[in-house]
Amino acid sequence: MLLLAACAAPKPPPPPAPTPSLFVLLPDPSGAGQITITNPSGTQVLTQSRQASAVPGPTGAPGPPFVLADAQIQQIFGATLAALPPEPAHFILYFKGDSDDLTPESQALLPKFLQTVRDRSPADISIVGHTDTLGDREYNYRLGLRRANRVADLLVVQGVDRSTLDITSHGKNDLLVPTGDQVSEPRNRRVEIIVR
Amino acid sequence: MTVGYLGRVGKSLIGRTTRTTVIAAVCSLLMTVLLGASEGATPSVGIVKMAEGTAVVQRGDQTLAASAGLALQEGDVLRTGADGRLGVVLRDDTRVSLGPETEIRIDRFLFAPAQGQLALVLKMARGVAAYVSGKIAKLSPDAVHVETPVAIVGVRGTHFVAKVESP
Repeated sequence: MLLLAACAAPKPPPPPAPTPSLFVLLPDPSGAGQITITNPSGTQVLTQSRQASAVPGPTGAPGPPFVLADAQIQQIFGATLAALPPEPAHFILYFKGDSDDLTPESQALLPKFLQTVRDRSPADISIVGHTDTLGDREYNYRLGLRRANRVADLLVVQGVDRSTLDITSHGKNDLLVPTGDQVSEPRNRRVEIIVR
Repeated sequence: MTVGYLGRVGKSLIGRTTRTTVIAAVCSLLMTVLLGASEGATPSVGIVKMAEGTAVVQRGDQTLAASAGLALQEGDVLRTGADGRLGVVLRDDTRVSLGPETEIRIDRFLFAPAQGQLALVLKMARGVAAYVSGKIAKLSPDAVHVETPVAIVGVRGTHFVAKVESP
């Protein structure tokens, strides 16, 4: 009986095959994207949206591209995709010459700008001050910073904590509209704000 | 003689007070600069925008509950439980979200384009994640990669998702 039981003892089940990892390229608003998946056993390049590659494990080469249907992408990644923050919002506010006073047109944009900041709160906000090329580098660095701080003031009045703002100046070094030196250009007299 | 003596004492007292004031002002200025400098020593690389369920940020041996508004630092490990999800945005506009049972470390983040310093390395240990490129990938695609236990993903200005099974 015992012998029979011993002979009849079942073999241990084979270890389960590891679940492959999956990498999928998705549509990118800014144009054609590409990812390269590499491990010691091989490389796979994905260049079309919804292309996927399965990687069996650290020593298995990344598999050839195959296309995943939207429904499959949603099933595996839907909840994760829904947790992606929205694309950051960009604003430009313009200033009067040699001044940290906003132009009337930009004054009119303030309510929309402030509403966006409120809607996206809590947000990580970058404020970069710029100038045109009238004046020297040092003067314009300071003018750009005054402009950036003026916009920061507006946010602080709204209840934003100033220590969370990233306030910098590019002076005359980062022109929106390229010009020669010592050229008055209203479109360069600006502050660029990114609300993340 | 007394007047002269008082006069001399008066002058030296005023002198001392002025000097003390100046020294105090300089010390206070130095303190402001030093404190400011130390606050800037751990710059924020991004922010948590959304957190749901079990979601934490591990910073050294501190484990912080992830919640919207939490500032992130290089070296932070983002981690979710079975019911957790996290959405974060980095200073260069890179966006990353984590599904359940996921762990990602912000291994390297360098965004100083004026100095030509750009780098983004995420280490994804396991789980499900979505990624959308920001400026670092656009300015220097070779400066970005996502490391997983099974493969390294090089990124060229793009959007992808990954499901990583830790071996």
